[in-house]
Amino acid sequence: MRNAQVEKLFTRIGAGAVLLSLILFAGPLHAADDAVQKAIKAVEKHRYEEGARDLRQAMQALEQSKQSQAQLALGMLYLRNAELHRELAQASLAVSADHLKRLSAERGGSRSRIAGFYLALVNLESGKGDVASAQLEKFLADGGGDARLKARAKIASGAAAARAGKQEQAKAAWADADTAEPDAKALLAAAFSRGGMTDRNPAALCDEAVMAAKRSGKPLTTTLAAGCLEVYASTGAVDKGADLLARTDLRMPAYRESIGKSKVLSFYDPQLLPALADFYLRAAVSSLEKAAGDASLRGIANYYLGEAYALSGSLDKAAGATAQFLSSAQMPPQYKNRALVRQGAIQYQKGKQTEAIGVWDELSRGQQGNPELLADILDTCGRLRIDCPRLAQTGATSAESGDGKRFMVLNAGLGRYYAGKKDNAKALAYLEAGRDKGNKNKIEANDPLLLVQLAEAYYRTKKFSEALEIYFEMSKQFPQVRQIQEALQGIYSVEHKSAGDVKIN
Amino acid sequence: MKRILVVLSVIAALAASFTAAEAAKKKDGKPDGGTLNYGEYGRPATLDPVTSNEMISLRITELIFNGLVGINEKQEIVPELAEKWEVSKDNRVYTFFLRKDVTWHAREGEQPKPFTADDVVFTYHIMMHPKTITPLKVRYEFISSVEKIDDSTVRFTLKRPILNALAKFSFKIIPKHGPANSDYLTRDDPFVQHPVGTGPFMLKNVTPEREIILVANDNYFKGRPHINQFSAKPFADQNIMTQALMFNAIDMIVLVNPRDIPEIQGDKRFILQPYNALSYSFFGYNMKNPFLADKRVRKAFTHAVNRQEMLDSFFNGQGTIISGPFAPGSWAYNLDVQPLAFDPQKASSLLAEAGFTKGADGFLQKDGNKLELTLKVPIEKESEAIKRVVLAFKNYLKNVGVDVKVEFKEWQAWKEDVFLEHDFDIVFASWVFDDSADISSLFHSGEIGPWKNNFGSYANAEVDGLINESKLTLDHEKKRTINRKLHAILAEENPYTFLWTLTNYTAYHKKIRRVAIHPYKFFTFADEWFMEDGK
Repeated sequence: MRNAQVEKLFTRIGAGAVLLSLILFAGPLHAADDAVQKAIKAVEKHRYEEGARDLRQAMQALEQSKQSQAQLALGMLYLRNAELHRELAQASLAVSADHLKRLSAERGGSRSRIAGFYLALVNLESGKGDVASAQLEKFLADGGGDARLKARAKIASGAAAARAGKQEQAKAAWADADTAEPDAKALLAAAFSRGGMTDRNPAALCDEAVMAAKRSGKPLTTTLAAGCLEVYASTGAVDKGADLLARTDLRMPAYRESIGKSKVLSFYDPQLLPALADFYLRAAVSSLEKAAGDASLRGIANYYLGEAYALSGSLDKAAGATAQFLSSAQMPPQYKNRALVRQGAIQYQKGKQTEAIGVWDELSRGQQGNPELLADILDTCGRLRIDCPRLAQTGATSAESGDGKRFMVLNAGLGRYYAGKKDNAKALAYLEAGRDKGNKNKIEANDPLLLVQLAEAYYRTKKFSEALEIYFEMSKQFPQVRQIQEALQGIYSVEHKSAGDVKIN
Repeated sequence: MKRILVVLSVIAALAASFTAAEAAKKKDGKPDGGTLNYGEYGRPATLDPVTSNEMISLRITELIFNGLVGINEKQEIVPELAEKWEVSKDNRVYTFFLRKDVTWHAREGEQPKPFTADDVVFTYHIMMHPKTITPLKVRYEFISSVEKIDDSTVRFTLKRPILNALAKFSFKIIPKHGPANSDYLTRDDPFVQHPVGTGPFMLKNVTPEREIILVANDNYFKGRPHINQFSAKPFADQNIMTQALMFNAIDMIVLVNPRDIPEIQGDKRFILQPYNALSYSFFGYNMKNPFLADKRVRKAFTHAVNRQEMLDSFFNGQGTIISGPFAPGSWAYNLDVQPLAFDPQKASSLLAEAGFTKGADGFLQKDGNKLELTLKVPIEKESEAIKRVVLAFKNYLKNVGVDVKVEFKEWQAWKEDVFLEHDFDIVFASWVFDDSADISSLFHSGEIGPWKNNFGSYANAEVDGLINESKLTLDHEKKRTINRKLHAILAEENPYTFLWTLTNYTAYHKKIRRVAIHPYKFFTFADEWFMEDGK
């Protein structure tokens, strides 16, 4: 592919233009071209799951010369999905903790026996190992539910101990767990993987679990998926992970508790969304690295690789890829800006705060009135929880006076900045202004990342139905948001303060 | 000396009146003044909170009346006409201590009368009177008795504790001296057209064009509202309403036509604000028609219509197809139940199974009776989009051999046909719910009767049982489970063909400030709104 074409490809992908494929694939279309074209369209339409699935299926039939393009498109799909699932995982942990706290605080005969256990899992996933440990101990001391839950509690208890550096205690807990069931085996494998115990060969354990589950003829569970995706992500076994995903109904709860004849509670695995995020990120890096092997795509691939490495915390690699991108071809200025903003972010994360803010100040001063640039900086400030009051003020003034779609981007950036600062009222106002209202909850028109942040702001301001509507629409493409929907519904059912009115319209 | 006393008295009186006026003003430093003209999509039948059962009236009554308690933007129950309350340990006795500084809007030539416990007791009794026409009774059957303790204290005793009991006391209080008939309230009572309340705005008049003019209540107990006048202008056509906004003839639209959202979002003069009234549209069936009493027929109708196509074609896809009796934004929606697929073949099979065969005219018939049905649509719904929906419905059913005659009726006449006479086969309408997701009045067999919401006479013992169980439980999660079951049953039973929830946006001019919208009642916080520069 010629350089000029690469630039066009790059610009179009970034700008999300619909005409990309016309430029990329001028001339008669082959089935192979069509597959990549569809994948790029899926990026634009934020249909990451569907796009990656379809492209993976089509890739075997692609000729060699198209493989790099396909890997680039696949990498982009996975990267955006990883970013989204990071956000979803955070949202889910927060809302699930709120819901489970309520459930586990209930008393009386119809209280849940296992809400406390799932709260412990949420705490463990949120990094509150000590709290989780105590909750798990209590759950086991109280009987620990059925055999499945007991095994799970012991594995989680071991994971909490391992996280606290108590390796012997962890090993004892794991040795005591009954791992005959595939789900337990998968979770144990994930615990080994997290604990860096590669001598236990977590990947083989997962293979065993998946085989056993398939042999049983039952649908694969989300618990199995959560455990093994994490393992496959860590070992780079992207194909195995993708196969597992394709066979799992991600809406399914991990456990259903029936209390009496009219009360059923669904519990979800808090590891699932983080595991998906990790898996997608690993898959993104893998695909983008392959794409970078093609000299004609290296520039673009490095741009996205920089982003993927930064997301995975590999700051040196991120800095390297970003620097390579900046020193490579003549790339569109807006992407140079983004790469420079990212360089600032990497510096900040490496402890060079003053330099980072200096980079951003200089950039914004040099290009006053560039809403995309300002939005990008504010977004970064929000993501890294950095105070950027001067830039926020400039952004607010600019957004107030600006018009059109370009300034919707700036409003969204401001919204993300305030979302990062947990200023929900401001986040809500700006994110709303950044939303395409003509397609309110449609992910094709609104970045799902923005919608998740908007849902979070609505949840925090107790406008539950707005948040639920966002997830209702999103669930059509991302069924795994069911766990957020269920927790939100549970909280809303308690929090609403209405008289029971209905009117005809 | 006497003169000095007179002067001092005058000064004291002036000072007192000045203080009273000052006390009535809000102390937030925002300007008073201006008129807010807002567009409504129809004319309300009544303006009181007891007899009305439509959203247009609800919005007006929110400006005119108050409840004992209210709700703030944080979803917290806050004092309104009651300044505080006590709840007994067994959650069965609620004692409300009323504000002593509240007066009723004064009728012309009268002095304002004080609000007292008598008004609360009166409201409850008139609301529950068997001859009062109101959809509210079912909501308050949990109250066993109400008694006046003294002028500013009133006590409610409940038959049993219920979930969210306090929120139920947000029902609007009407004055004892209001209705002409002090025993029960019907739509013939002058009060329903000339209401008197305690709220931030007072009804001034209704113009011959049915424009409703409300003016600020200087004596409002929360402080005089900032805006001088609210004016509700009815528009039969939503397109014209949008044009009225664009040409500054009105300042606000309560519900924007989904097709107009992009145009309004592109205009910097206006703000588009979402609010989630939990609502959905439906085609409802009359079970008194023997054909429609057969659930296979109703299910066939749902399979016969392509809801997604209608939503996409007539509303630019600005909504969500639903599968059951709750809106997708509700906590009660059963996420496992999917909408029935558009499947005309399945529809035909179900109709054949129900015993219908094709007649000579191409339409289905059974036992010599043609499958011919009347669809009644209120004239306020005569927007282009709605016309297309009902005509599309007619065509979809024609494709499977059903003859549907569409009849547009004036709003009041439509309501009489549907709610009073039950003279229809199919209706097209929408329900709007507050967030308690209470569908008992729609589907419980006890709610069949004149002016009740189960106008289709749907009766199902299992549904009745679940609704009863749901009302009795004090467990939120149990209530959720029951509602999920109800959703699944009603999705299968098809008393309605559940259609969609549309995107709800209000649009208003930027000159209106501090606009907060209650998702259901809309104007709850309107006394805090103000116009930029008071104009």
